[in-house]
Amino acid sequence: MVDSLSRLTQTPAAICVILLSLPTLMAEPDFDAVKSLLESRCLSCHNTQDRKGDFSLETHEQMTDSGQVSPGSPEESGLLQVVLSEGNEAPSMPKDGTPLTAAEAKVLHDWIAAGAKWPASVTLSQPAVTSFDWWSFQPIRNPPIPDVQTDTASWLTSPIDRFVLDRLQKKGMQPSDRADRRTLIRRVTYDLTGLPPTPAQVEAFVNDKAPNAWTKLIDRLLDAPQYGERWARHWLDVVKYADTCGYDKDKLRPNSWPYRDYVIRSFNEDKPWTQFVQEQIAGDVIYPGTSDGILGLGFVAAGPWDFIGHVEVPESKIDGRVARNLDRDEMVTNTLNAFCSVTIQCARCHNHKFDPFSQEHYYSLQSVFAAVDRAERVYDTDPKIEQRRRELTAAQTDAANKLRNLEKEIADAGGDELKQLNAEIKTLSDQTNPKDKRPEYGYHSALVKKNNIAKWVEVDLGESVEVTHIILNACHDEFAGINSGFGFPVRFRVEGRINAGDKLQVIQDFTGSDFRNPRLIPVEAKPAAPVAVRFVRVTATVLAERQNDYMLALSELQIFDSTGKNVAHGKPVNAVDSIEAPVRWRKSNLTDGIWPQAEKPEAFVKLEKLQDTQDELLKHINTPERMQRKQHLEQARDKAAAEIGKLPKGRVVYAAATHFNRRGNFMPTQGVPRTVKVLHRGNIQQPLDEVSPGVIPLRANSDWKLPLAENHSEGDRRAALAKWITDPNNPLTWRSIANRIWQYHFGRGLVESPNDFGRMGQQPTHPKLLDWLATEFIQSGWDVKALQKLIVMSATYQQSAKMTPEQIERDPKNSLLARGARFRLPAEMIRDNALAISGLLVKRLGGPSVRPYQPPGLWKDVVYSNVPKWKQDHGDKLYRRSLYTFWKRSVPPPNLQMFDAPSREACVLHRSRTNTPLAALVLMNDPTFVEAARKLGERAMKEAGQGDEERLTFIFRLATSRRMTDEERPLVKNVLARARKHYSDRPLEAKKLMQIGESPADDSLNVIEAASFATIATVLLNLDETITRN
Amino acid sequence: MNIQDLNLMQTRRELLGRTSAGIGSVALASLLNDKDMASAAGPAVGRAKRVIYLFQSGAPSQFELLDHKPKLDELHGKDLGPEFFKGQRQTGMTAGQKKQVCRSIYRFEKHGDSGAEISENLPHLANVADDICIVRSMQTQAINHDPAITFFQTGFQQAGRPSMGAWVSYGLGSETEDLPAYVVMISEGSSKRDSQALYGRLWGSGFLPSAHQGVKFRSQGDPVLYLTNPDGISRTQRRDILNLSNALNRKHFEQVGDPETITRIRQAELAFRMQASVPDLMDTSSEPEHTFEMYGEDARTPGTYAANCLLARRLAEQGVRFIQLYHRGWDQHGDLPRDLPAQCGDVDQPSAALITDLKQRGMLDDTLIIWGGEFGRTVYAQGGLNMDRYGRDHHPRCFSIWMAGGGIKPGITYGRTDDFSFDVVENPMHVYDLHATMLHCLGVDHEQLTYKYQGRRYRLTDVHGEVVEDILA
Repeated sequence: MVDSLSRLTQTPAAICVILLSLPTLMAEPDFDAVKSLLESRCLSCHNTQDRKGDFSLETHEQMTDSGQVSPGSPEESGLLQVVLSEGNEAPSMPKDGTPLTAAEAKVLHDWIAAGAKWPASVTLSQPAVTSFDWWSFQPIRNPPIPDVQTDTASWLTSPIDRFVLDRLQKKGMQPSDRADRRTLIRRVTYDLTGLPPTPAQVEAFVNDKAPNAWTKLIDRLLDAPQYGERWARHWLDVVKYADTCGYDKDKLRPNSWPYRDYVIRSFNEDKPWTQFVQEQIAGDVIYPGTSDGILGLGFVAAGPWDFIGHVEVPESKIDGRVARNLDRDEMVTNTLNAFCSVTIQCARCHNHKFDPFSQEHYYSLQSVFAAVDRAERVYDTDPKIEQRRRELTAAQTDAANKLRNLEKEIADAGGDELKQLNAEIKTLSDQTNPKDKRPEYGYHSALVKKNNIAKWVEVDLGESVEVTHIILNACHDEFAGINSGFGFPVRFRVEGRINAGDKLQVIQDFTGSDFRNPRLIPVEAKPAAPVAVRFVRVTATVLAERQNDYMLALSELQIFDSTGKNVAHGKPVNAVDSIEAPVRWRKSNLTDGIWPQAEKPEAFVKLEKLQDTQDELLKHINTPERMQRKQHLEQARDKAAAEIGKLPKGRVVYAAATHFNRRGNFMPTQGVPRTVKVLHRGNIQQPLDEVSPGVIPLRANSDWKLPLAENHSEGDRRAALAKWITDPNNPLTWRSIANRIWQYHFGRGLVESPNDFGRMGQQPTHPKLLDWLATEFIQSGWDVKALQKLIVMSATYQQSAKMTPEQIERDPKNSLLARGARFRLPAEMIRDNALAISGLLVKRLGGPSVRPYQPPGLWKDVVYSNVPKWKQDHGDKLYRRSLYTFWKRSVPPPNLQMFDAPSREACVLHRSRTNTPLAALVLMNDPTFVEAARKLGERAMKEAGQGDEERLTFIFRLATSRRMTDEERPLVKNVLARARKHYSDRPLEAKKLMQIGESPADDSLNVIEAASFATIATVLLNLDETITRN
Repeated sequence: MNIQDLNLMQTRRELLGRTSAGIGSVALASLLNDKDMASAAGPAVGRAKRVIYLFQSGAPSQFELLDHKPKLDELHGKDLGPEFFKGQRQTGMTAGQKKQVCRSIYRFEKHGDSGAEISENLPHLANVADDICIVRSMQTQAINHDPAITFFQTGFQQAGRPSMGAWVSYGLGSETEDLPAYVVMISEGSSKRDSQALYGRLWGSGFLPSAHQGVKFRSQGDPVLYLTNPDGISRTQRRDILNLSNALNRKHFEQVGDPETITRIRQAELAFRMQASVPDLMDTSSEPEHTFEMYGEDARTPGTYAANCLLARRLAEQGVRFIQLYHRGWDQHGDLPRDLPAQCGDVDQPSAALITDLKQRGMLDDTLIIWGGEFGRTVYAQGGLNMDRYGRDHHPRCFSIWMAGGGIKPGITYGRTDDFSFDVVENPMHVYDLHATMLHCLGVDHEQLTYKYQGRRYRLTDVHGEVVEDILA
């Protein structure tokens, strides 16, 4: 082995300087430096849980055991050798990370050389970031508006411009001129309503001499109902709204749209952002009795949901728990990403590596959502019924909570003694598993819903026999975790008779009190004296519980005569009913000589004793008072549920819910939160400490536990979270929304990572401007429209988007805002634009999602059994805004997807704007666009007079808000002439073109002319200018 | 090149620049070996230029195809107690039932100079045994189809990450100007089972720019969505329309100076070329007779696996970077003796033909072919030991695939499983390792091909994966 000192010196040359003087400088090393190195570079694998390489470095003892460190001998210490490089080879450790620097390696070297001393009682733990020294955590201070001067006319119309200009001037750059009015009205109409301005609106604005022309235009647009549709679309991307559940089966989610409509309405009503946030997290609690308080909760449920993991797998199974954990993860992630721009999800498996959030913070947030699931939830438009429903649900939840408390009270009353007893009983029970379990389980009656329906099973001995005693052997089935004693009756009689018609004689009666589950101990029934019988019957009067149902099961019935012979073996069996599911369950199994026998019978004896003690203890604990209380609570709960069932049906939204109809294994919590524990490595099978509801800290030593009363309801948790988010002093929330709103006007945010304000996100390009906007927003009463108006009134917003090569060179992303933003319209707007221009658009707001044209066979291509078929709609539904297009996560509408519409499976904050041949094909050939082009051509013929010039101008003004230029005219007219010639020669072709799409062609028009203008309209719909917001 | 490409390139350059100390010159060169970037770096050093991934969806049984387990003949019918399973997960379908060892009813023989053991179900593959590398020690994490296929495609069980084809397209760019870099084709199997869903996200681009997503070529209707001109618009009309829109777009560019406008013109032109090149490519009628002898008569029927294999060769010739076929119907929970031979009948001859064909054309060396499903199947029978109707459940702990060409050592069998093909006992190869090895063959270091998203650098192999040097040529 190469001497490690020399290898230390072989690594980067710069370090040699430090090391040359090594021997003399070697002082008593500081353990803190060693500790921090081990914690940050080694411990993520070599900890007590993971023990990669079969050792841990958490404690001194573990380090000694590891054999990796030879105190005093760095050369013999594996720990040091593996972090050093051999020749040009990279060092083998740390496995997934950059190698240690020579200085760091030296720390380890010196420490080992000095004896590897480890201060007593120091235990290492994995590193957590604790520093809040980062821009987004700093309080929002209203920054002073920079004092800047400029000669550019029309500049400095808003404080925004001063912030922007200040930065530009410092970089030696100049802002651009104001864009012309045609461009401006187009830009702002797209931004605020998602639709193009009509030619009349353009002319009116261009010719409006009033000084407040721009203000009037903004006000008109902010008041348009289409404004809410446009802004809802942004939010629906953030929350991953869709009409199906995603995952394998991608089941339909037919009632998600009321939430979509709620979002549209909230924007149109200019709801204060605080209210909008609160309704979406805890509207049922903070705005009780309002339908928006319920509808808003669609936010929590908007993302994908794992049908298999919830419905097909029970919560008791690992996969079921994983699914529920991931479901809460999605809720936490969605909430914190959307409202606070924090990537809290990074702390699921380990403490956040860059931001000061621990796993405990993360799981405390999971605990806020521990009682809710995604399900259909009734909301009432009649406030009285909503009120009644709320009271009843509250009563139901209250009873469920009290019941749980009562259970806890009972458990507590037993104290440690009961706890220990239960634990011992559990341990012993596990030892009483059957040896050699056979598949022939026994006899199993039909299932019933009540436990007091009598069930019997009997053996026909074929002739009268003198019976001395009978032995009942119980079954073993792991179903529902029951195991030994499965189906053994709680109260029963053993009876017999000689003839089928005789009255049954009681052999032994066990109906006087509940019979304790015997597990695998044979139960003997003995007549007072031997009795002659042919039929021996077991009648259960109180049945054993299975899973929300009841039944009788027995593995073997042995009947002994005076010689000690089991005369029942192989004899026929009758029963009131039987599930007959061979080989496990059938009547004949009762006398087949096969029954489960305990591996360690002696465990039963101990178990008996323990259970006696337990019974005695429980007798004191289960006092009549408690039992009565329990009964009352159960009645109250059931009564409230029954009353709710009687209320008018109401309407349904897919939202966060605690009370809903059970579906397979998917059961409501009834408002009782699930227990949430920190999970080592996010692994459900490695739970650590239980957590209580909390949030993330915003500054060092801040209290991050939610202030909740001891008997708080689950809703209180969500309400507390909502209030924490909307606290005016929360620096994240207001910067987050101010940044998003800015982003939707400029194509990119002041912070380019709108969901991540942490250290791995981007820093703001204009931090003071962001804070100023946030402050204005708070002071306006969280008025979204007011903030937007503020932004669009600025000269910064109104700049020309023309790019000079110098600008592209100096600031390709336009982060300094020296020009207006220019970008291709998002997918939905490209389609809406074509519909609007052609006059096909149906402007109705809201309602269930619609299914416009889509190539055949797309759903079938991915089909999973029992998934509904795609069925295209007709009539008006073909021409609604794209926001209403049915969104199947696994198969998003292809003509939107080609323009980067997200699948809504993962959150997309920043849609990419690709430019692909597939998108070009959509514009050329999708019937939506071909139909729009021919309708636009028809419009020109009908609305624009007779001449080509008028008609072409009409098409240009609709598509681009401007007239044809003199340069363009000959080119366009040439193609028009060629099209005329083409279609004159082929009138059938013209006719075919005019039949694309379902809106009928106008027969009164000359079909060759119509096809020729449709050709020009196609060109215009394809233009970069038409589909770009400039 | 548009601004986005420029940004993209800068991102990659920046990344490479930052980490150039750690990155091999191989990856550096090939990462930059985009058409647009060819001048910036030398040619790729990776053996493979492209991948043809023959994905067998539903999970073919290793016992009946590539993992010979003679011991099972003795152990047939033996009950496997719970101790055998060591607490491993089983699917809901067989979790409760008795686990009886089930032998394979098919004969295995040694083939070729390498003596590769291949079952009688795959006679054509047996003929090219010396050209392939059989891996018997594949391992995965997921036990149900969708998460398992998603994991194979993206390195993660939940949807949302980029697929391997998208990563390759992002990392290496395109070699063709007339076709997308990543093409997907799907065929139905002859078995009569309900097939597994195959969602578009399986070849999606996740958080990578959507230009890298796979483009599905369909066998019915338009081979590429919206490819065909509508009724009443002829190709000359389309040319006129494009000429005019290009001219107007160019004038617009002169005014606003946005390079994106130029890209739009180029993409519309590519779309126009695709309108001709894709139908040409899909039209195999000009292939000589012996092609169909090689691939089988099915290759004449669009949408079959055989036809898709032939198309895969044609796409490879055109320079498509990542060609992925999915063949459905391999989920033999029961009726394996009826359905598995039918499935083999679909794929055996065309898969072998693809190897032979590429070899004859001198393209096997730079084309990496991978054949396999998303997991393996259980040693115990599902639904009883009736040897006319037996089946097998899902098994993620070991399964078999084969690879050929593109830098993979031919004529070897890698990895070994125990007598029950329950556990790998020698040379395990995880899906992450397959990904790492595949990228390595393409000249890409899997640890260096990353993309920053939501504050983190992501890669196909996450924090895992090792190149399996033993199977490299």
